[in-house]
Amino acid sequence: MNGFLVLLTRELRQITKEKTIMLAIIIQFFLASFSSVLLIGIMSFYDPESIGETTRIPIDVGIVGDTNSPLLGFLKEKNLRVLSFSDVGNAEAAFRSGHIDTVIFIPESNGGIVDMKLVLPELDALETVILMVLQEPLEKYENYLRETNGVELHYKDLDGRPHATYEFLYSLIVPMLMLFPAFIAGSMVVDAVAEELETKTLDTLRSAPVSLNAVFASKILAGVITCALQCIMWAVLLRLNSLFIQNIGFVLLLSIIIAASISFGAAIIALYFKDRERAQFTYSMVLIAAAGLSYFIDPSPFNLITRLATGDYYTSGYQVALYVIPLLILSVPFFTMSKKLLAAKS
Amino acid sequence: MKQPVIFAIRNVLTISKREVTRFRSRFTGRSRLVLLTIAAICLLITYILYHQDFVLSKGLYTVGVSSNGPAITDSRFKVLPLDVERGRMMLQNKAIDIYIDPDDAICRSDQRSQYAAGALKQYLEKRELTRIASEYEISQAFPLRIEINHLQARAGDVETQTQMSLSDILGLAEAPAQSPTTAEPTELPSGAVPAPSPQPGTSSTDAAVRQQLSDFEGQNGLPEFKAEFASDKDIIVPSLMEPPIPLAQVIMAFLYVVPILFVSVFFTGSFMEEKTNRKLIILLSAPVTPFQIILGKMLPYIGYSIVVIIAVTLLLRGNVLLALPIFIPVMLFILSIYLMVALTYRTFKDQTFFSVLAVAGITAYLVAPAMFSGVSDLSYISPLTLAVQMYRGESFSLTQYFLSTAPMYLVFFLALFVGKRIFNEEYLTGFKPLYAKFGEAIYLAINRNHLHLSVFLLSLFLIPPVFMLQLSSIVVASNLPMPFALAAVLVMSVITEEIAKSSGIATLLKNKVVKSLKQILTLSFMSALGFLIGEKLLLYLALFVISESVFTTAIFSTGLLVMPLMMHFITTSMVCLMTARFGIKYYPAALIAGSVIHGLYNLYVIGAIL
Repeated sequence: MNGFLVLLTRELRQITKEKTIMLAIIIQFFLASFSSVLLIGIMSFYDPESIGETTRIPIDVGIVGDTNSPLLGFLKEKNLRVLSFSDVGNAEAAFRSGHIDTVIFIPESNGGIVDMKLVLPELDALETVILMVLQEPLEKYENYLRETNGVELHYKDLDGRPHATYEFLYSLIVPMLMLFPAFIAGSMVVDAVAEELETKTLDTLRSAPVSLNAVFASKILAGVITCALQCIMWAVLLRLNSLFIQNIGFVLLLSIIIAASISFGAAIIALYFKDRERAQFTYSMVLIAAAGLSYFIDPSPFNLITRLATGDYYTSGYQVALYVIPLLILSVPFFTMSKKLLAAKS
Repeated sequence: MKQPVIFAIRNVLTISKREVTRFRSRFTGRSRLVLLTIAAICLLITYILYHQDFVLSKGLYTVGVSSNGPAITDSRFKVLPLDVERGRMMLQNKAIDIYIDPDDAICRSDQRSQYAAGALKQYLEKRELTRIASEYEISQAFPLRIEINHLQARAGDVETQTQMSLSDILGLAEAPAQSPTTAEPTELPSGAVPAPSPQPGTSSTDAAVRQQLSDFEGQNGLPEFKAEFASDKDIIVPSLMEPPIPLAQVIMAFLYVVPILFVSVFFTGSFMEEKTNRKLIILLSAPVTPFQIILGKMLPYIGYSIVVIIAVTLLLRGNVLLALPIFIPVMLFILSIYLMVALTYRTFKDQTFFSVLAVAGITAYLVAPAMFSGVSDLSYISPLTLAVQMYRGESFSLTQYFLSTAPMYLVFFLALFVGKRIFNEEYLTGFKPLYAKFGEAIYLAINRNHLHLSVFLLSLFLIPPVFMLQLSSIVVASNLPMPFALAAVLVMSVITEEIAKSSGIATLLKNKVVKSLKQILTLSFMSALGFLIGEKLLLYLALFVISESVFTTAIFSTGLLVMPLMMHFITTSMVCLMTARFGIKYYPAALIAGSVIHGLYNLYVIGAIL
């Protein structure tokens, strides 16, 4: 046990000596700093409709044609500034000078089909924002036209909050942040094991009074400890950004179990291939395959973190405990077969 | 003795062949089988997931549904069949998030329940649209159709003459003022777009609506790749409007860049492995130059990356002849970053962490400016903007191409040059702190026989990395509130510039190559001159893209050349003289002092402009 603790301290000291923890922190802050700029971008990737919900850009709409159309009322309900133009030239001048952002031509409606025209600026991002902001009032007007045609949509008055941000944060960002350190932990274990093998320092270590398993376990534990520290740091950062993770204990426990499982898998790969290059490549491929396969498990680690973090009534420590099974499946053969793996030809 | 070119090429090809053999030997026998199996599994999973209704938020909400309530098949919802009484009770106990029957839905006022209601509303609305499409005539179910048109806002005088007017677009050309009461279509001149008119029954836009409806109902897997939201004359139906991914740039970055980043593991791994087992040193004793070794090792990965670029472009139905000049500099840039990582870092963990940082940095540098394509011409900083235009069938100018790609080519050539200079046993196997490794690399890059020219060129060629770092600092600072963000950008920019200008001379001082006051001052002048020329050239290129007339003449006016040259000279010589006087230990303090003067100058210039 003493030997193991000495090895663990050595591993952790190596990590801090190499400034890897500091680098991990820099990377995380670097990624976090991009978040505010890219968050909206990633969100629109996840759900483009969220642009209409989240934008704070004031949009001024110019109307040409039927200025008595109910659409004007729906536009105003959305807090858009609506300007009616009786002269197309004036509307064009206002558009070109930037006083209005878009022009809608509304033909008079006598029932039946209404063919409108929408004029947008030739600016990619602004065009997206305008279309998404206009979607809701346009849909209301479409429903109004449907009703005049005798078509009724059910549940159209159902209320509720825009859910895109909530789903995005808890289904993607929180699980990603909580599992990313586990992926790095695995990569670190591949490096640590491959380095000992490639530089032949493992032979020296084996002459010391410590078992082979203790050597590898110290490397795995060092990776897991690093992962736990990073997860705690993320949780604090999210809390500072007013994003509350419920069942935080279980979420951290799950991240640690996943990090340990991945680290055992990574150590097996590194012991089999014995060089960093192949081991890292294989590790990345296996990780992608495992992440893809986990989608078919209910709940997957990703999904389980989501449910725990949102305080799902039916999710508890029981599901987290189930993830000890893959950890056992990977760790027990590892400890029993490490010598064989080391001797095996890759 | 200088080798003939033919021998040099032969050497490069021999090393390339050796690299390919090395790579292939990595994956023989069982390891090849293992990897091919994993790759096949990855492809199979990707294929299955692509054809699945991929949902990340599976089972996020719990919905109680009455026996005659709607069928809910969206996997975001866990559905529990419940009667009203039990449903209300469970809703109160927070065991369900919302309860729904055929007519109404009940939810709580807390956030979770409200979000569930929002998500359910979106799902049920989509279901209802499918229902009315099957039960009613298309003209009744989808009575509103909108034609999209684009017009240049804030157009300059030149553009407005050639542009269509709003009247042309609305089909009201030459027509009198369109009064609010005008209902009749206007008689049009030939060639104009017919004015839309309300028509009972059918419309010419029915076909477009049917197409959208078919896309809406047949949605499966990920949305189709499309680099533009809506093209001119597209017909949209508000309730069927499924915007394509507006940030195609992100996808493009991943599709093109990720395979290149992935294979870079082998490129860096190759150097690291041969550094560790000293094969590189043995190779150096052979009649091959460091440049040939680097190029030879890089060549197979360049070949692979070109194949990836062609394959992805064909997959996305782009123009291969345009995609190659756009993405080749990106690929060279990535390989040059990884070359530096491999040659500078000493341990595997170092390499992994810096590779992760490089991936984050490269992706952000490519994606962040490209997100503003069409909004600001500064988006041309990233070659992805050119790719977006290529996929839209739009053209771009040669100047725009150079602005996007020149820094990347320059970084590549700089990396090759520095790589060649530091390629020696002592540097490759040395185990020093990071700053010492950087200092040593700069020292080795300088030609001691041509000190002045070397320092001049060093400052000139450090412009692209400085430019990239300053861009990154803008993004990092964007997290802060406005006045602090501006201050942070100014501080980071000034420090970066001072390091770039003085690092070469500082390493010469450290190695006692330069001692006299005269030498320090002349080298500081050469460094300042090199930096100024590089800075102005880049600015000239950038502003030429943004505005061809106003700024470009201003940049080369005497006042804007002499003053900055003076400032660069003063701050650089100040940093170097302080370092010479107090020793290299005090270089950071000297940098701060120089940065303060530089910062004050910047504030003065900003004040004068404002």
